[in-house]
Amino acid sequence: MSYVDAGYAVGLSVLFLYAIGLLVRRRSLERAVDLSMPPSESADGSAETGAAPAP
Amino acid sequence: MSARPEDRRVVAPRPRWLRIVGALALVSTAATVWLGLWVTPPDQVQGNLVRLVYLHPPIAWVALYLAFGLAALSSLFYLWRRTRSLFWDRLAAASVEVGIVFTALTLATGMLWGRPTWGVWWTWDARLTSTALLLVLFLGYLALRRVPADPEVRARRCAVAALIAFVDVPIVHFSVIWWQTLHQGATVLNSNLSPTIHGSMAWTLLLGFVALTLVFVWMVGVRYRIEVLADRTGAERLEVSLAERWAEGDLDMAGASGSPATRNGGAVSLRPPTRVGP
Repeated sequence: MSYVDAGYAVGLSVLFLYAIGLLVRRRSLERAVDLSMPPSESADGSAETGAAPAP
Repeated sequence: MSARPEDRRVVAPRPRWLRIVGALALVSTAATVWLGLWVTPPDQVQGNLVRLVYLHPPIAWVALYLAFGLAALSSLFYLWRRTRSLFWDRLAAASVEVGIVFTALTLATGMLWGRPTWGVWWTWDARLTSTALLLVLFLGYLALRRVPADPEVRARRCAVAALIAFVDVPIVHFSVIWWQTLHQGATVLNSNLSPTIHGSMAWTLLLGFVALTLVFVWMVGVRYRIEVLADRTGAERLEVSLAERWAEGDLDMAGASGSPATRNGGAVSLRPPTRVGP
Protein backbone atom coordinates (compact mmCIF):
# COMPACT_ATOMS: atom_id res chain seq x y z
CA MET A 1 0.00 0.00 0.00
CA SER A 2 1.38 3.38 -0.94
CA TYR A 3 1.46 6.38 1.37
CA VAL A 4 -1.25 8.00 -0.78
CA ASP A 5 -3.58 5.02 -0.42
CA ALA A 6 -2.87 4.88 3.31
CA GLY A 7 -3.64 8.61 3.64
CA TYR A 8 -6.98 8.27 1.89
CA ALA A 9 -7.83 5.05 3.78
CA VAL A 10 -7.07 6.61 7.18
CA GLY A 11 -8.79 9.92 6.41
CA LEU A 12 -11.97 8.52 4.93
CA SER A 13 -12.39 5.62 7.33
CA VAL A 14 -11.97 7.82 10.42
CA LEU A 15 -14.52 10.31 9.07
CA PHE A 16 -16.90 7.48 8.18
CA LEU A 17 -16.60 5.80 11.59
CA TYR A 18 -17.03 9.11 13.42
CA ALA A 19 -20.14 9.87 11.33
CA ILE A 20 -21.61 6.45 12.16
CA GLY A 21 -20.81 7.04 15.83
CA LEU A 22 -22.65 10.37 15.72
CA LEU A 23 -25.72 8.75 14.16
CA VAL A 24 -25.76 5.97 16.76
CA ARG A 25 -25.39 8.45 19.64
CA ARG A 26 -28.17 10.62 18.23
CA ARG A 27 -30.50 7.65 17.77
CA SER A 28 -29.95 6.29 21.27
CA LEU A 29 -30.51 9.72 22.86
CA GLU A 30 -33.67 10.31 20.83
CA ARG A 31 -34.93 6.94 22.02
CA ALA A 32 -34.03 7.77 25.63
CA VAL A 33 -35.91 11.08 25.43
CA ASP A 34 -38.92 9.40 23.82
CA LEU A 35 -39.04 6.73 26.50
CA SER A 36 -38.66 9.20 29.35
CA MET A 37 -41.79 11.09 28.28
CA PRO A 38 -45.07 9.98 29.86
CA PRO A 39 -47.55 8.50 27.36
CA SER A 40 -49.70 11.18 25.75
CA GLU A 41 -53.31 11.36 26.85
CA SER A 42 -56.14 10.52 24.49
CA ALA A 43 -59.22 12.72 23.95
CA ASP A 44 -61.24 11.13 26.78
CA GLY A 45 -58.44 11.79 29.24
CA SER A 46 -57.29 8.17 29.62
CA ALA A 47 -53.64 7.37 29.16
CA GLU A 48 -52.76 5.43 26.02
CA THR A 49 -51.29 2.59 28.00
CA GLY A 50 -54.50 0.60 28.17
CA ALA A 51 -55.05 1.49 31.81
CA ALA A 52 -58.49 2.50 32.94
CA PRO A 53 -59.06 6.21 33.53
CA ALA A 54 -58.39 7.32 37.06
CA PRO A 55 -61.51 7.85 39.15
CA MET B 1 -53.61 0.14 23.17
CA SER B 2 -50.04 1.32 23.57
CA ALA B 3 -48.82 4.45 21.85
CA ARG B 4 -46.67 4.12 18.77
CA PRO B 5 -43.19 5.61 19.18
CA GLU B 6 -43.93 8.31 16.60
CA ASP B 7 -47.06 9.34 18.54
CA ARG B 8 -45.06 9.78 21.69
CA ARG B 9 -42.24 11.62 19.93
CA VAL B 10 -41.64 14.89 21.73
CA VAL B 11 -38.24 15.76 20.31
CA ALA B 12 -38.24 18.30 17.48
CA PRO B 13 -37.94 16.54 14.11
CA ARG B 14 -34.56 16.30 12.47
CA PRO B 15 -34.01 19.29 10.18
CA ARG B 16 -34.47 18.56 6.49
CA TRP B 17 -31.55 20.76 5.43
CA LEU B 18 -29.20 18.51 7.37
CA ARG B 19 -30.13 15.54 5.19
CA ILE B 20 -29.53 17.58 2.05
CA VAL B 21 -26.14 18.74 3.34
CA GLY B 22 -25.29 15.14 4.27
CA ALA B 23 -26.13 13.89 0.79
CA LEU B 24 -24.16 16.71 -0.85
CA ALA B 25 -21.20 16.02 1.43
CA LEU B 26 -21.22 12.35 0.48
CA VAL B 27 -21.40 13.04 -3.27
CA SER B 28 -18.75 15.78 -3.24
CA THR B 29 -16.36 13.70 -1.11
CA ALA B 30 -16.75 10.74 -3.47
CA ALA B 31 -16.09 13.07 -6.45
CA THR B 32 -12.97 14.48 -4.75
CA VAL B 33 -11.60 10.99 -4.12
CA TRP B 34 -12.31 9.94 -7.71
CA LEU B 35 -10.69 13.06 -9.19
CA GLY B 36 -7.83 13.00 -6.72
CA LEU B 37 -6.87 9.36 -7.10
CA TRP B 38 -7.68 8.61 -10.76
CA VAL B 39 -8.21 11.74 -12.87
CA THR B 40 -5.63 14.39 -11.90
CA PRO B 41 -2.07 13.97 -13.19
CA PRO B 42 0.95 13.25 -10.97
CA ASP B 43 3.09 16.24 -10.03
CA GLN B 44 6.43 16.93 -11.76
CA VAL B 45 8.31 17.04 -8.45
CA GLN B 46 6.25 15.04 -5.95
CA GLY B 47 4.85 12.44 -8.33
CA ASN B 48 1.79 10.61 -7.00
CA LEU B 49 2.32 11.97 -3.49
CA VAL B 50 0.68 15.18 -4.65
CA ARG B 51 -2.65 13.35 -4.49
CA LEU B 52 -2.57 13.87 -0.73
CA VAL B 53 -2.96 17.60 -1.39
CA TYR B 54 -6.64 17.02 -2.17
CA LEU B 55 -7.18 15.61 1.31
CA HIS B 56 -4.68 17.04 3.81
CA PRO B 57 -5.14 20.83 3.29
CA PRO B 58 -8.99 20.63 3.19
CA ILE B 59 -8.96 18.63 6.44
CA ALA B 60 -6.61 21.18 8.02
CA TRP B 61 -8.83 24.03 6.73
CA VAL B 62 -11.85 22.52 8.48
CA ALA B 63 -9.96 21.84 11.72
CA LEU B 64 -8.16 25.13 12.14
CA TYR B 65 -10.35 27.75 10.57
CA LEU B 66 -13.89 26.38 10.48
CA ALA B 67 -14.15 24.24 13.59
CA PHE B 68 -12.03 26.19 16.02
CA GLY B 69 -13.03 29.51 14.42
CA LEU B 70 -16.69 28.69 14.93
CA ALA B 71 -15.97 27.51 18.48
CA ALA B 72 -14.19 30.78 19.30
CA LEU B 73 -16.92 32.89 17.72
CA SER B 74 -19.65 30.97 19.55
CA SER B 75 -17.76 31.32 22.81
CA LEU B 76 -17.45 35.04 22.23
CA PHE B 77 -21.21 35.29 21.62
CA TYR B 78 -21.84 33.32 24.79
CA LEU B 79 -19.65 35.58 26.88
CA TRP B 80 -21.21 38.74 25.45
CA ARG B 81 -24.22 39.50 27.64
CA ARG B 82 -26.50 40.60 24.79
CA THR B 83 -26.20 37.31 22.91
CA ARG B 84 -25.74 34.98 25.88
CA SER B 85 -27.58 31.74 25.23
CA LEU B 86 -26.84 28.05 25.74
CA PHE B 87 -27.24 27.72 21.96
CA TRP B 88 -23.76 29.23 21.54
CA ASP B 89 -22.29 26.97 24.21
CA ARG B 90 -23.71 23.86 22.53
CA LEU B 91 -22.56 25.03 19.12
CA ALA B 92 -19.04 25.57 20.46
CA ALA B 93 -19.01 22.12 22.08
CA ALA B 94 -20.20 20.47 18.86
CA SER B 95 -17.67 22.38 16.81
CA VAL B 96 -14.76 21.56 19.10
CA GLU B 97 -15.45 17.82 19.10
CA VAL B 98 -15.62 17.72 15.30
CA GLY B 99 -12.55 19.96 15.15
CA ILE B 100 -10.57 17.54 17.29
CA VAL B 101 -11.33 14.67 14.89
CA PHE B 102 -10.20 16.83 11.97
CA THR B 103 -7.06 18.01 13.80
CA ALA B 104 -6.06 14.42 14.56
CA LEU B 105 -6.61 13.61 10.88
CA THR B 106 -4.56 16.65 9.87
CA LEU B 107 -1.66 15.26 11.88
CA ALA B 108 -2.15 11.69 10.62
CA THR B 109 -2.38 12.59 6.92
CA GLY B 110 0.49 15.06 7.34
CA MET B 111 2.67 12.31 8.81
CA LEU B 112 1.81 10.03 5.90
CA TRP B 113 2.91 12.80 3.57
CA GLY B 114 5.99 13.70 5.62
CA ARG B 115 7.48 10.22 5.79
CA PRO B 116 8.20 9.84 2.05
CA THR B 117 8.87 13.58 1.53
CA TRP B 118 11.06 14.44 4.54
CA GLY B 119 12.15 10.93 5.49
CA VAL B 120 10.62 11.13 9.00
CA TRP B 121 7.16 10.53 10.43
CA TRP B 122 7.47 13.40 12.86
CA THR B 123 9.75 16.33 13.50
CA TRP B 124 9.49 19.08 16.10
CA ASP B 125 8.86 21.61 13.37
CA ALA B 126 6.97 24.82 14.30
CA ARG B 127 3.90 23.98 12.20
CA LEU B 128 3.64 20.40 13.44
CA THR B 129 4.33 21.25 17.07
CA SER B 130 1.83 24.12 17.19
CA THR B 131 -0.82 21.88 15.57
CA ALA B 132 -0.18 19.12 18.11
CA LEU B 133 -0.45 21.73 20.86
CA LEU B 134 -3.77 22.86 19.41
CA LEU B 135 -5.07 19.29 19.63
CA VAL B 136 -4.02 19.03 23.28
CA LEU B 137 -5.54 22.42 24.14
CA PHE B 138 -8.93 21.51 22.70
CA LEU B 139 -8.80 18.06 24.32
CA GLY B 140 -8.50 20.05 27.53
CA TYR B 141 -11.64 21.94 26.52
CA LEU B 142 -13.52 18.64 26.21
CA ALA B 143 -12.16 17.51 29.58
CA LEU B 144 -13.37 20.78 31.12
CA ARG B 145 -16.86 20.15 29.76
CA ARG B 146 -16.99 16.88 31.67
CA VAL B 147 -16.31 18.55 35.02
CA PRO B 148 -19.65 18.51 36.86
CA ALA B 149 -21.04 22.03 37.21
CA ASP B 150 -24.12 24.12 36.68
CA PRO B 151 -24.72 24.41 32.89
CA GLU B 152 -24.12 28.16 32.90
CA VAL B 153 -20.96 27.94 34.97
CA ARG B 154 -19.70 25.19 32.68
CA ALA B 155 -20.57 27.23 29.61
CA ARG B 156 -18.70 30.28 30.91
CA ARG B 157 -15.61 28.27 31.84
CA CYS B 158 -15.57 26.50 28.50
CA ALA B 159 -16.07 29.72 26.53
CA VAL B 160 -13.02 31.24 28.21
CA ALA B 161 -11.03 28.04 27.61
CA ALA B 162 -11.99 27.99 23.92
CA LEU B 163 -10.85 31.58 23.46
CA ILE B 164 -7.54 30.88 25.18
CA ALA B 165 -6.99 27.76 23.04
CA PHE B 166 -7.88 29.66 19.88
CA VAL B 167 -4.83 31.90 20.37
CA ASP B 168 -2.82 28.98 18.97
CA VAL B 169 -4.66 29.06 15.60
CA PRO B 170 -2.90 32.17 14.20
CA ILE B 171 0.37 30.76 15.54
CA VAL B 172 -0.23 27.59 13.50
CA HIS B 173 -1.13 29.65 10.43
CA PHE B 174 1.87 31.99 10.54
CA SER B 175 4.35 29.41 11.87
CA VAL B 176 5.67 28.75 8.34
CA ILE B 177 6.38 32.49 7.94
CA TRP B 178 7.66 33.32 11.41
CA TRP B 179 10.04 30.36 11.69
CA GLN B 180 12.12 28.30 9.31
CA THR B 181 10.19 25.09 8.97
CA LEU B 182 10.25 21.89 6.97
CA HIS B 183 6.58 22.36 6.22
CA GLN B 184 5.89 24.07 2.93
CA GLY B 185 4.33 27.54 2.79
CA ALA B 186 0.73 28.26 1.90
CA THR B 187 -0.32 27.08 -1.57
CA VAL B 188 -3.64 28.89 -1.81
CA LEU B 189 -3.87 31.39 1.08
CA ASN B 190 -0.39 32.82 0.53
CA SER B 191 0.64 36.43 1.05
CA ASN B 192 0.06 37.34 -2.64
CA LEU B 193 -3.30 35.54 -2.66
CA SER B 194 -2.28 33.91 -5.95
CA PRO B 195 -2.64 30.12 -5.79
CA THR B 196 0.44 28.22 -6.93
CA ILE B 197 -1.62 25.30 -8.24
CA HIS B 198 -3.35 25.15 -11.60
CA GLY B 199 -5.70 23.29 -13.91
CA SER B 200 -7.45 20.10 -12.84
CA MET B 201 -5.32 20.00 -9.69
CA ALA B 202 -6.70 23.40 -8.60
CA TRP B 203 -10.30 22.41 -9.31
CA THR B 204 -9.95 19.13 -7.46
CA LEU B 205 -8.40 20.93 -4.49
CA LEU B 206 -11.26 23.43 -4.53
CA LEU B 207 -13.79 20.59 -4.63
CA GLY B 208 -11.96 19.00 -1.69
CA PHE B 209 -12.41 22.19 0.32
CA VAL B 210 -16.12 22.31 -0.54
CA ALA B 211 -16.62 18.60 0.24
CA LEU B 212 -14.91 18.68 3.61
CA THR B 213 -16.71 21.91 4.53
CA LEU B 214 -20.04 20.17 3.83
CA VAL B 215 -18.91 17.17 5.89
CA PHE B 216 -18.09 19.56 8.73
CA VAL B 217 -21.48 21.33 8.53
CA TRP B 218 -23.30 17.99 8.59
CA MET B 219 -21.26 16.67 11.52
CA VAL B 220 -21.74 19.85 13.57
CA GLY B 221 -25.49 19.73 12.83
CA VAL B 222 -25.78 16.17 14.11
CA ARG B 223 -23.43 16.79 17.04
CA TYR B 224 -25.41 19.89 18.06
CA ARG B 225 -28.58 17.81 18.24
CA ILE B 226 -26.76 15.26 20.38
CA GLU B 227 -25.76 18.06 22.74
CA VAL B 228 -29.39 19.26 23.03
CA LEU B 229 -30.68 15.72 23.65
CA ALA B 230 -27.91 14.97 26.17
CA ASP B 231 -28.72 18.15 28.12
CA ARG B 232 -32.37 17.17 28.15
CA THR B 233 -31.84 13.59 29.31
CA GLY B 234 -29.28 14.83 31.84
CA ALA B 235 -31.79 17.28 33.32
CA GLU B 236 -34.48 14.60 33.46
CA ARG B 237 -32.11 12.14 35.12
CA LEU B 238 -31.24 14.80 37.69
CA GLU B 239 -34.91 15.44 38.45
CA VAL B 240 -35.61 11.72 38.90
CA SER B 241 -32.51 11.32 41.04
CA LEU B 242 -33.48 14.27 43.26
CA ALA B 243 -37.02 12.93 43.63
CA GLU B 244 -35.61 9.55 44.64
CA ARG B 245 -33.38 11.19 47.22
CA TRP B 246 -36.37 13.08 48.66
CA ALA B 247 -38.35 9.86 48.79
CA GLU B 248 -35.49 8.09 50.55
CA GLY B 249 -35.32 10.98 53.02
CA ASP B 250 -39.02 10.61 53.79
CA LEU B 251 -38.60 6.86 54.34
CA ASP B 252 -35.56 7.36 56.59
CA MET B 253 -37.42 9.91 58.70
CA ALA B 254 -40.39 7.59 59.03
CA GLY B 255 -38.08 4.71 60.05
CA ALA B 256 -36.13 6.79 62.59
CA SER B 257 -39.12 8.36 64.31
CA GLY B 258 -41.31 5.33 64.60
CA SER B 259 -44.73 5.12 63.09
CA PRO B 260 -46.34 8.21 61.61
CA ALA B 261 -48.96 8.07 64.33
CA THR B 262 -46.43 8.51 67.17
CA ARG B 263 -44.28 11.13 65.48
CA ASN B 264 -44.58 14.60 67.09
CA GLY B 265 -46.99 13.12 69.50
CA GLY B 266 -49.34 12.40 66.67
CA ALA B 267 -50.01 16.10 66.25
CA VAL B 268 -48.98 16.26 62.61
CA SER B 269 -50.29 14.01 59.92
CA LEU B 270 -47.46 13.00 57.62
CA ARG B 271 -47.90 12.53 53.91
CA PRO B 272 -46.99 9.07 52.68
CA PRO B 273 -43.60 8.64 51.01
CA THR B 274 -43.79 9.78 47.39
CA ARG B 275 -43.56 6.97 44.93
CA VAL B 276 -41.19 7.86 42.14
CA GLY B 277 -40.34 6.20 38.92
CA PRO B 278 -42.13 3.71 36.78
